[in-house]
Amino acid sequence: MKIVGAVLIVAACGGIGLSKAAAHRRLEQELRNLIGVLEFMGCELQYRLTPLPELCRTAADVTRGTIRHIMEGLAQELEQQIAPDVSVCMAATLQKTQKTSPILTGHLERLGEWLGRFGLQGQLKSLDGLKAQCGDALKDLSFHRAERLRSYQTLGFCAGAALAILFI
Amino acid sequence: MRCAWKELLSILPAWMRSEVDRQGRDTLQELRLRLGLPPELICSCSNMHMGQAVTGNDLNYIINTASRYSPWAASSIGQGYLTAPGGHRIGICGEAVVDDHGMTGIRQVRSLCIRVARDFPGLADKLRHQDGSILILGAPGNGKTTLLRDLIRQRSEKGSVAVVDERGELFPAGFSIGERTDVMTGCPKVLGIDRVLRTMSPMTIAVDEITSAEDCEALLRAGWCGVSLLATAHAASVSDLRSRPVYGPIVKSRVFDMVVILHSDKSFRAERMET
Repeated sequence: MKIVGAVLIVAACGGIGLSKAAAHRRLEQELRNLIGVLEFMGCELQYRLTPLPELCRTAADVTRGTIRHIMEGLAQELEQQIAPDVSVCMAATLQKTQKTSPILTGHLERLGEWLGRFGLQGQLKSLDGLKAQCGDALKDLSFHRAERLRSYQTLGFCAGAALAILFI
Repeated sequence: MRCAWKELLSILPAWMRSEVDRQGRDTLQELRLRLGLPPELICSCSNMHMGQAVTGNDLNYIINTASRYSPWAASSIGQGYLTAPGGHRIGICGEAVVDDHGMTGIRQVRSLCIRVARDFPGLADKLRHQDGSILILGAPGNGKTTLLRDLIRQRSEKGSVAVVDERGELFPAGFSIGERTDVMTGCPKVLGIDRVLRTMSPMTIAVDEITSAEDCEALLRAGWCGVSLLATAHAASVSDLRSRPVYGPIVKSRVFDMVVILHSDKSFRAERMET
């Protein structure tokens, strides 16, 4: 019985460590997706001056994961024409989206505040600025990435082992 | 009569929609919104005010929804207007932002004037057999654009018509365009006239509201190339037109064969253009 309990504790704590590492990888991927979307939006705006609802819908088609859902949701909010501005539409979309990391949410909120606020040149500059911020965040996450991911997993299993020893 | 009414209602704040719909569905010509005052509905037979006062959020909401939250797609805001879906023109007044190149935008919007676009097919039937170039004259709100729209449709039954629609008001989605009409929207008249002349081989070129010497020069260039012209201008009569220096070259050149003068009751009369 004790052995089974110990195994369960180690497995649970290890699982937490593994999921933390997976969340780290997911966040990196989402930030990469967001940078891709920002790049796409900049090009689309510069060449076609696409209105925002269509722009979000098209941007959703070129990406995947959470960013795709958020872009689709934002396009839908904008098409409904209920909110007075884009930041409110973005807030409503984020509220409907399940669990996004605070880092990603912060960047998306900023995107909501800046979209539809400026003329073309201002809008392009703001997208570039946000892209740079996302790039910095991605760089932070990638710093000693392998060691960090290994640490999460090791810490999980070690914490599990320690708990198991304590309980036994 | 056709009107993109649903599109008009969709850009208004929710509290305004039902009353505007009830009071103005068939007769509304203009909706005037001034910050802190109740909206004014100017209908064909009467004017009325709604109860609740307009807030800054209401004005911003209208601008955002009319531009589809896309200031870059509504570059005309710097010129004090934007065209909403359905071809309704929204005039904007407030605190202007000006740089070295002129007015670039409006920071604090205080008033909006929404002019409802309506289409009356058959309005220009009396002019069906008039060939050559026609200049439509009238005061603001007399129906110059509405008459031009129908005239374009009728002309397109005879041959190709190229329309340079700078403001995107002439043929919004849902309005019949005519059999042989090519429309270039969002392009300044001067550039657009030269482009369509070179690329579309039109029999007729149509433009709405010639207001500058450059517009007149571009029209003259097209007229001298043997293209018929359809255009509108702000003037109450031919003598009024003659008195305005900007239209001098047009009057002198006799490039227009006929003028159509619109009256405030929407009736019109046609006469030959004399120098």
